[in-house]
Amino acid sequence: MITTAIDNSVFEKLHKTEAWMFTNVSALSKIDFACPSEVDVSVIATHDIAPENPFVVFVNGVFQEGCSRIADGISVNADTHGDIAARGDSLIPRGDSSSVSITGTHAVTVHVLQIVTGDVPVACFGNVIVHAAEGESISLAETHIALTDQNHVFMPCTEVVAEQNSNVTIVRSIRGSKEAYHLGSLHVAQHESSTVQTHTITLGGKCVRNEVYAYLDGEHCESNFDGMYMLGKDQLVDNHLRVEHNEPKGNSREFYKGVLDENAKSVFTGRIYVKEDAHQTDAKQTNQNIILCDDASCTARPQLEIYADDVLCTHGATTGEIDEEALLYLRSRGIPKDAARTLLIYAFLNESLDELTDDGFRTVLVDELLSNLPGGNFIRTLYL
Amino acid sequence: MTTPLLEITNLHASIEGKQILNGVNLTIMPGEVHSIMGPNGSGKSTLASVIAGHEAYEVTEGSILFNGIDLLELEADQRACAGVFLAFQYPVEIPGVSTKFFLKAAVNAIRKYRGQEELDAMDFLDMVEEKAKSVSLNIDLLDRNVNEGFSGGEKKRAEVFQMAMLDPLLGVLDETDSGLDIDALKIVADGVNQLRTQDRGFVIITHYQRLLDFIVPDFVHVLKDGVIVKSGDKSLALELEEKGYAGIEACKSECSCA
Repeated sequence: MITTAIDNSVFEKLHKTEAWMFTNVSALSKIDFACPSEVDVSVIATHDIAPENPFVVFVNGVFQEGCSRIADGISVNADTHGDIAARGDSLIPRGDSSSVSITGTHAVTVHVLQIVTGDVPVACFGNVIVHAAEGESISLAETHIALTDQNHVFMPCTEVVAEQNSNVTIVRSIRGSKEAYHLGSLHVAQHESSTVQTHTITLGGKCVRNEVYAYLDGEHCESNFDGMYMLGKDQLVDNHLRVEHNEPKGNSREFYKGVLDENAKSVFTGRIYVKEDAHQTDAKQTNQNIILCDDASCTARPQLEIYADDVLCTHGATTGEIDEEALLYLRSRGIPKDAARTLLIYAFLNESLDELTDDGFRTVLVDELLSNLPGGNFIRTLYL
Repeated sequence: MTTPLLEITNLHASIEGKQILNGVNLTIMPGEVHSIMGPNGSGKSTLASVIAGHEAYEVTEGSILFNGIDLLELEADQRACAGVFLAFQYPVEIPGVSTKFFLKAAVNAIRKYRGQEELDAMDFLDMVEEKAKSVSLNIDLLDRNVNEGFSGGEKKRAEVFQMAMLDPLLGVLDETDSGLDIDALKIVADGVNQLRTQDRGFVIITHYQRLLDFIVPDFVHVLKDGVIVKSGDKSLALELEEKGYAGIEACKSECSCA
């Protein structure tokens, strides 16, 4: 067993900064992290949810060549970083771990599975670099699973360059143990007329920070940064976004929604920055929460920083309970109260998953969602 | 003697402290269609909501017996299972849930309550196809989320379709004709007429006589200020059309209504 080269003192005072004021990860500074060199790979097969697709597997940050299916345009390199992450002011440590590089057009979604496991706390990194050249399309599904109930910390960093007229879709799901820390970031640079969609789904973890830094560096960029979460006891999710409109006529949307049970907590910070002369920017940010319990809490912080005149920027946040009118409607059709509540929570969250086109990945996420949802088994009986 | 399907006695109800119903009496026998008419604010929709079990309304006095059982003791979902169906004036949109998904939950909840076996996917879909035809409802609509993106007419037709699926003993239609053009009105009425049986009763709440040309009622009642001020046969609806509700008020003293 080797100890990782991680300076965990950085976690001690993070919450004293404005960007982390609602998310305290100082407990991580007191943990001796390790990185087991021998890992049990037998668990991988159960998470190979798209057996026809390219599959890149890491366990505790170590590439598992034997379990992976590499296609053209996918390579695994040692210690490589892209140069997009350096543009932002993210305070999440970056580590020198091997990285996956994905280029070229892929007919199907590339699945990158990152497993963190061990009977002692593990700290590791996962670097992915996506480069879509002019006119190319790349779809990526990232599955991040912490097994074993330790205070693992996983710090995935995905960098995306979307060149002219390219199209990139990333679905990142955080699943598994509810004891692990997940400090992830996505860094996106877009060129003219490119389209990037990211979808961050948080179903696991004790403390999950999802950062998105996006740079719309060309005209007519289309950007959708979406997120969904369903959290319960002692869980926290902090979605932190900065979207920079640096050129005119860009459309960006941030749409995050979630359900919080017990004493779960959600933080949403969305900063839209519109540079001088980035006219006809259309930027929108929305955060919707349903809280099921008085102990749950939400903090939404929309932030607009606009230096151009001719722009349309909107923000909205809602936090509420279940819609009583809808509840009555369902009950007036014979559906018992508890089941009707479950159906409405599922509906609220599923609206977000509905947009995912890839059925294999969608099915797994819906399944995990139902496992987390109180009364979720009832929904399974409704499938046709 | 046959048990009345619905027996409302001296019903008083309020919402947020405001008294709306002031002693409604209404008896419906199996197979009968009763129309309730009345001016805006007379309490028609309140009556429908109270029958369906809307929790915002408080029953302050009186009783409702449904097939001999105390309806006010039952929760909204139990009433639906017992056989009460309310077609909403404003059907609620529910994003994220497909209509089929929702209906399967409803049909099986009701079947379970009635001690019937739950339907599997195949039988359920067969039933959907058959009932959708009866109200000329485009079956593709049912893959959409509940009432979401439906036109006004589609929403009302979907309500009647749901009623056909849930097979109630009592159908309460709350202004199902509002917002419908004449063709849609005929389709909705036709759907309701197909559901008329000797066991099933209907309460048709409407502003206008027009709907009653297509769903011919056995009785017409005029509700005003929370009480039924006049009852009669279908000719009463025509009289209302001619004289308006004000005319009814004038006659209140000289006829023995309610």
